[in-house]
Amino acid sequence: MLTTNFMGLKLRNPVILAAGPWNRDGRAVKESIDMGAGAVVTESIVSDTVMDVRPRIAGDERGAQNIRLYSDIQIEGWESEMKIAKSSGGVVIASVSGQTPSEVAYLASKMEKFGADAIELSVSNPAVESLEVVASHASTVFDMTKAVVSSVGIPVIVKLSQNTTNISKVAKAVKAAGGSGVTAINTVRGILGVDVENAVPTLSTYGGISGSYIKPLGLASVATIAQTADITISGVGGITDGRSALEYMMLGATTVQVGTHAMIRGKGVIRKIVHELEEWAQNHNLKNLSEIRGKALANLKSFDEMKFEPATSVVNSVPCTENCNRCMMACMYGAITREGGSIRVDEKKCTGCGLCTDMCAAKKLKLSL
Amino acid sequence: MNIKQIAKKAGVSVATVSRVLNHPETVAETTREKIQKIIDEEEYKPNWFARGLNFNRTKTLGLLIPHTLGSTYMEIANGVEEVARQKGYITFMCNVEKDPQIEKEYVNQLINRRVDGIILMFSALDDSYMELIEEKNIPAVLIGENKVKCGWSSVTTNCRSGAADMVRHLAECGHSRIGILCGRDPEQEGRDMLKGYCDVMKKCGRGEDPRLKSSVENSIEGGYIGMKQMLSEVRPDAIFATSDEIAYGAMEAVKDMGMSIPGDIAVAGFGNSRMSNLVEPKLSTVEQPYRKMGIYGARILFDMIEGETEEPQHIILQGKLRIRKSCGHTDRIGEMF
Repeated sequence: MLTTNFMGLKLRNPVILAAGPWNRDGRAVKESIDMGAGAVVTESIVSDTVMDVRPRIAGDERGAQNIRLYSDIQIEGWESEMKIAKSSGGVVIASVSGQTPSEVAYLASKMEKFGADAIELSVSNPAVESLEVVASHASTVFDMTKAVVSSVGIPVIVKLSQNTTNISKVAKAVKAAGGSGVTAINTVRGILGVDVENAVPTLSTYGGISGSYIKPLGLASVATIAQTADITISGVGGITDGRSALEYMMLGATTVQVGTHAMIRGKGVIRKIVHELEEWAQNHNLKNLSEIRGKALANLKSFDEMKFEPATSVVNSVPCTENCNRCMMACMYGAITREGGSIRVDEKKCTGCGLCTDMCAAKKLKLSL
Repeated sequence: MNIKQIAKKAGVSVATVSRVLNHPETVAETTREKIQKIIDEEEYKPNWFARGLNFNRTKTLGLLIPHTLGSTYMEIANGVEEVARQKGYITFMCNVEKDPQIEKEYVNQLINRRVDGIILMFSALDDSYMELIEEKNIPAVLIGENKVKCGWSSVTTNCRSGAADMVRHLAECGHSRIGILCGRDPEQEGRDMLKGYCDVMKKCGRGEDPRLKSSVENSIEGGYIGMKQMLSEVRPDAIFATSDEIAYGAMEAVKDMGMSIPGDIAVAGFGNSRMSNLVEPKLSTVEQPYRKMGIYGARILFDMIEGETEEPQHIILQGKLRIRKSCGHTDRIGEMF
């Protein structure tokens, strides 16, 4: 039911544990496979290890910021790490990162030799590298991808960034260079917050924001790529449960990647997400999850296609005794008032913006003609 | 401690220890970790010489260094050695003192000592000696563009674009009379940097004032003298030096003449040596991936030694602007990335 053909690789399920320190060596990768992941992406392997700054990760309930997370194991060391990683089977994707095509091509060819099933080319780290991330330029991504593709015989997937003006152009460059897929999206450059008493930002420099903070950006990127480029997509950004995984798939993702949620809550979340997907598929009589891939794309419309109907907000069930007044506070048009122990919508004032229906926790409001 | 003693201490057979060293995936996780812990604690190193005998190898590399006083060269050497050490190799580091004659002698010595491979760093070796290495079938790699020989594997950086990026940055900072203090070393890199400088000056329509171009000895002293000479003829707004050492000397000269950096004259270097972040004002420079050049030089050499590749490999690396205070820029964000 969950088996997935991902760029020719047979995955037992579409939930991949993303690149990161939770997959920092052979043992950690193997553990991720044993926790039920459909595939596992190693922490990004670079030409030369760099010293870790401390602290480098900050987080809260909605996500995290990291400064720089690269493998502290040199490529030579990954030969034995990969043997351990793959000792109980499973699909391992090697993440490689670098500044020039020949560098990443070298690292990729080594990781193929060490047993990697695919390469994920990371050219989109928003922390430190440069003000404009490599992945913001389609021509650079093309050169990098082409070099890697021509140096290996396994599928190459390129991790893209939201920090670009036209992500579909970059995805098309990957396809033109012979890449088999794209991962969307990498972390987005950000600053988690500022300690206002001491005027100190959460971490000491700009970093990459991940988790629920970036889910809407990830969903939009996946949809944009799915609607413009004919290429396999792995969706990333704020996946915390089966439902969020399904959202990515319905917008065109073949697989999904979980990173921050597993980092904060532990790798056990993989099993939970896989289980929820299984349950959902069963309840919806699906033979395979691929049946719902891209299904929501048809409901993404242009303004021309939208119907301009005079819908207004109506109170779905009365009386409303919640007394939270959130709908009233959120009504910019002054259409909602509280009368006689319940709420009332003035149809003449309501412009049908729809915000109150989301703000109402009790779901008492809906848009209607 | 030898492999038998490790096995005894771990309470396992010699074969199991050997498997941990060679095929760790075939050993149960708890056993593997227990043995690895003992190996680490005892700092056990496998007997590489005995291993080498199996393949008729000496487990030694020859590394020819232009000059051991050059911090650039030593950073490259550091990268080479790190990979060699991981492979259980010893590196013979030969100080060529930028003398082709000494370099030839060392090549002969290394061949006689039956090294498994040779790395030539910014080599000035003549073709006949390169052919000798080829005839002896010794794997060899070139680091630096000084000597380009068809069919040889190499590691290079694009110095022309690195220099052009910095000169362009100086122009973007508002400097119009940009001078260059170019190191006199016979290395191709210096010539490429001069080309990068000329590319940008031409593009900016600044023309080429010969008084703004000076060839100096590649040292702090060279930079100091060169800067003073240039200032006696012309007053530049900014100086691009083709090495950080030259830049340090130029900064000293500017200060000695009662002028400020970058207020009166901005200065930028090339290389990002350790001192560049310590001088006052901090030197803007072009970071060069020297250690990485060494790492890749050794990597592609080992690929040849281990028979993994027959085709020559060419690794091209990239420098990166390190914007600090000496160039007179005003965007703080430029220093962050």
